[in-house]
Amino acid sequence: MISLQNVTKTYKNGVIALESVSIEIEKGEFVFVVGPSGSGKSTTLRLLLREEEPSTGEVFVAGKNVVRLSSLGGIPKLRRNIGCVFQDFKLLQDKTVFENVSFALEVIGKPKHVIDARVPEILDYVGLGEKLNNYPDELSGGEQQRVSIARACVNRPLVLLADEPTGNLDPNTSVDIMRLLDKVNKIGTTVVMATHDQAIVDAMRKRVIELDRGKVVRDQSRGVYS
Amino acid sequence: MRRIEFYFRETAAGIRRNGIMAFAAMSTAFIALFLFGLALIIAREINLVIEAVTGNVQVAVYLSDPVRPDTVTRLQTELQALPAVASVEYENKDEACARAKKLFESNPAITENVPCEVYPASFRVTLADTSQYGQITARLACEPDPTTHDITCSEPGVLKVLDFRDILDRLSAITRVLRNGVLFIAVVTLISATVLVANTLRMGMFARRKEIGIMRLVGATNWRIRVPFLIEGLVEALVGAALAIITLFLVKVFVVDQLRGRIVWLPLIRNGDVLAITPWILIAAAGVAIVAGTIGIRRFLDV
Repeated sequence: MISLQNVTKTYKNGVIALESVSIEIEKGEFVFVVGPSGSGKSTTLRLLLREEEPSTGEVFVAGKNVVRLSSLGGIPKLRRNIGCVFQDFKLLQDKTVFENVSFALEVIGKPKHVIDARVPEILDYVGLGEKLNNYPDELSGGEQQRVSIARACVNRPLVLLADEPTGNLDPNTSVDIMRLLDKVNKIGTTVVMATHDQAIVDAMRKRVIELDRGKVVRDQSRGVYS
Repeated sequence: MRRIEFYFRETAAGIRRNGIMAFAAMSTAFIALFLFGLALIIAREINLVIEAVTGNVQVAVYLSDPVRPDTVTRLQTELQALPAVASVEYENKDEACARAKKLFESNPAITENVPCEVYPASFRVTLADTSQYGQITARLACEPDPTTHDITCSEPGVLKVLDFRDILDRLSAITRVLRNGVLFIAVVTLISATVLVANTLRMGMFARRKEIGIMRLVGATNWRIRVPFLIEGLVEALVGAALAIITLFLVKVFVVDQLRGRIVWLPLIRNGDVLAITPWILIAAAGVAIVAGTIGIRRFLDV
């Protein structure tokens, strides 16, 4: 599903974010990417989304060489297959829960009947079936993150990328969010999660890829944080 | 259908959110397009005046009554043979009358009371070289009459010659100054309108950068992201154009129409003239929108 082959990423200012990184992730896997700040976690996710291009090496997502995609159609199409969840939720404050999720379908041109069917369904799935008409500032942090997961999943992506999704949440809420991500993973979505959260990584016992100063220093199935 | 609805909803939201900037852009577009239209109308008005005063010829040779066909043929051939003459057109009495009727159609006092017989037939001469006008007067043996300023001729059948070169030169000089002056101001304001519209779009994009970020993230295409802003620019320019067209019609009704009939010989622009320039105003507005759109969203072209 995801393949980084000998990827090096050097930023314009000379910082080497990734150095000769090779990672293979199969369809349906749940993978933690761990490591200290600046180790290259975010860069890895940005490469998968084609927000950055590798300096050398190849990146494949869902069988596509992402470097070769055109900004006209290829990159948007790639991103429709990837859901994204962030530490800061990135919800639109002037839209309701329903509108935040439907926005993601609307802007890729999905017809109204699809939106009206899928949005309540996915919000029900993440446990927010009762809060369709609330605004984000009326929700707790955990609920807001559920909305953002619903938005990421509403188009049924092949891959879910999560960048520190529990970074703003207390431990109990974090566990709830992890249960939800696990549930999303169980229905076949490949989940890649960058995190600092040692307790969560240790509790989940999933594959762990550890980065340090741009290099893969450990790749362990059913691993722990360190 | 749904996509169109999406675009217009986004556009309306954008203009509302960006109210003051949108207002500034629209009013500048309005003033710019109004001045642009005014320049075109001034040019039309002066053309009407030129037409009225000279019939659009440089020299007119009037024939004395009764007009004999063989005189017409002979003189036309002879005038045409002069090197200074580019073309000679014959206008008979009926045509002269019809032209006068049209010219004074807003003054029934003239059209009803002046019989057709008084309008003389004439040759309407365009010169190849205006400085060689003397060839015509020499050929027709004409002398300026010091008391009436008419140029009377001794050539049989010729009544008099009227030389419009001087008045044409003056009128076209006035046209040039007036039209180019207004056009210059129009161009400057059109440029500022373009910049303002572009800036409105840019501010709109900045205000909605979070939304745009999410649109990119979930895989919206570039066009899906940009089109609402392009429509917004177009709407602003077209609102300006509509206001400009309405104002030009108001100027015609409340200024030009008030003058109508006060100066008998002066022809004035009509509704049709204002209507005739509206396509140019709309084209200019579309130009403003296209240029502003290209500048305004360029920074957001990358995915």
